[in-house]
Amino acid sequence: MRPLFITWEYPPYKAGGIAAHCEDLSTTMDDQGHDPVVVTYGEEESTEYRDGVEIHRVPATDAATDTLSWAMHLGHQMEKKAIELAKQKDFDLVHAHDWMAVPGATGIKKTLDLPMVFTVHSTQKGRDGIDSKYQETIHNLEWYGTYEAEEVITVGRDFSEEVKHTYDVPNEKVNYIPNGVDLEKFDSHSGNLNKNKYALDYEQIVLFVGRMYPQKGPGHLIEAMPKILDKAPDAKFVMCGSGATEHYKGIAKQQVGDKVHFPGYVPDSELLSLMKNAKMTVAPSVYEPFGIVPLEAAACETPTVGSYTGGMKDTIIHEYTGLHTYPADPGSIAHQVKRALNDPGWSDWLGENARDRVEDNFRWEQISAWTTGIYSNAVK
Amino acid sequence: MNVVLLSKQLKDGEAISEYTKNIAEKIVQEGHEATIISFDDSSYYSIDERVDVVRFSLHFDGDNIYNWSMMMNNEMKGQVMSLLEEKDFDLIHANDWTTVPGAVAISKHLEKPMVITIHSTENERGFEGEQAEMISELEWQGAYESDQVLVTKEDTKNSVLFDLDAPEDKLEVIDPFSDGWRERILNKYRELLKHKKEVKN
Repeated sequence: MRPLFITWEYPPYKAGGIAAHCEDLSTTMDDQGHDPVVVTYGEEESTEYRDGVEIHRVPATDAATDTLSWAMHLGHQMEKKAIELAKQKDFDLVHAHDWMAVPGATGIKKTLDLPMVFTVHSTQKGRDGIDSKYQETIHNLEWYGTYEAEEVITVGRDFSEEVKHTYDVPNEKVNYIPNGVDLEKFDSHSGNLNKNKYALDYEQIVLFVGRMYPQKGPGHLIEAMPKILDKAPDAKFVMCGSGATEHYKGIAKQQVGDKVHFPGYVPDSELLSLMKNAKMTVAPSVYEPFGIVPLEAAACETPTVGSYTGGMKDTIIHEYTGLHTYPADPGSIAHQVKRALNDPGWSDWLGENARDRVEDNFRWEQISAWTTGIYSNAVK
Repeated sequence: MNVVLLSKQLKDGEAISEYTKNIAEKIVQEGHEATIISFDDSSYYSIDERVDVVRFSLHFDGDNIYNWSMMMNNEMKGQVMSLLEEKDFDLIHANDWTTVPGAVAISKHLEKPMVITIHSTENERGFEGEQAEMISELEWQGAYESDQVLVTKEDTKNSVLFDLDAPEDKLEVIDPFSDGWRERILNKYRELLKHKKEVKN
């Protein structure tokens, strides 16, 4: 099959998890004998071939005053590129990733008369609500994407229900396919870490990875920190990610001083080393359609303490691959982090189980096969 | 000759609608075929019944006219493409920036010539509002991608020349209040189609 991927972000451009998702999925599809073509954003027009995947980049306007208009313009540019490509090769379908791809993908669907598959990675309602006309328009675009798509893919089991109800999508066209992990990437990484950059030799790293926004819940973890340190004084909190870093850093430093470190944005390779060396990751999200961090940590045999919400209901099995906490509950976070820190043998066992489970259930080979199965339904 | 004309709306008494209707009626009077594709805002319109009119609804409500238009154009493309099952179009005629994305996509995909009438430019309208620059970019693109740019008055011609940097040789003023204006537009169509045929041969 030859799907045409429409995504605004594809490595090296990435803001969230969509870029990595698209890269891993398209690369695996290529390995399985399919022929995915990616059209995405770039500062200038270019074509590259990476890991068997053909990637076309198109620039977007500098004149846009907001992301929505920028996405509309980018969509038109992507469509023109798709029309050009369609003169040399036939596409079986167009696969859009999140609302920013909807203008381009629906244009391509209409002009090239292709079936459309739409992966919803998160919703406007869940991210930051529908309180303004601007937010409502993004919500409308998400609805429009589900309306125009022959098949809708969601990345979480609970999230499937959210998508069905939020956009009134018929049951039969909503599919759940989890995200995956490229285990080879984790296994081939040395994991070498200059620990002194983050913690003292005897300290145990408790790692947070995510954008510093309320949705990811860094504030709840910060509130839990003093209670954790009461019982586990060797803990050292390392808070990786960009966003409102200074805001959270100010609060955390006030609470626990040097027991917390904010390195800001950390490159992938360094992050992987941190995950391999951390005692655990903490994912205190209040809204998380899927949440890749628990799986990435699991690939490193590191357990995750994560909120019982969205995708983490599936990606963490309580007291087997990690620990669940009540969402937005610092007391619950403190309790579970302390349990894991104070029983290192049990914590290691959780990490080993987490790794086994990823190997069995969250491999891209499986996810790609499920996705192409959905493609078959879309082109019927 | 079979011409598809794109217009944001179709409403009796509205300037661009009247312009589009007049051209379409002239086309059918001359024994050719004309189709108007327009968003359905429930306005009343009257037209020669030989003109094929397709009005469509849009299940998308945008926060501004730019975003709304971009999605409206996607629907417009879908309407044109579905008509291809029963007819072939020889030429696409866009009206103003609100139909540029659709016209450009269709023209490129079908490899058919594109004509645009720029009734006024964003610069002439005052270049106000947050979307002004993006709207002006669409006007530029419309002028750039078209085989023929028509304007209805000298002021617009000057703006298209200097603000949109369009080449003068594909730009022409045809005043819809002048005698024989519709015939002149049809002649432009004929020239483009003849030229395309020559290039093909």
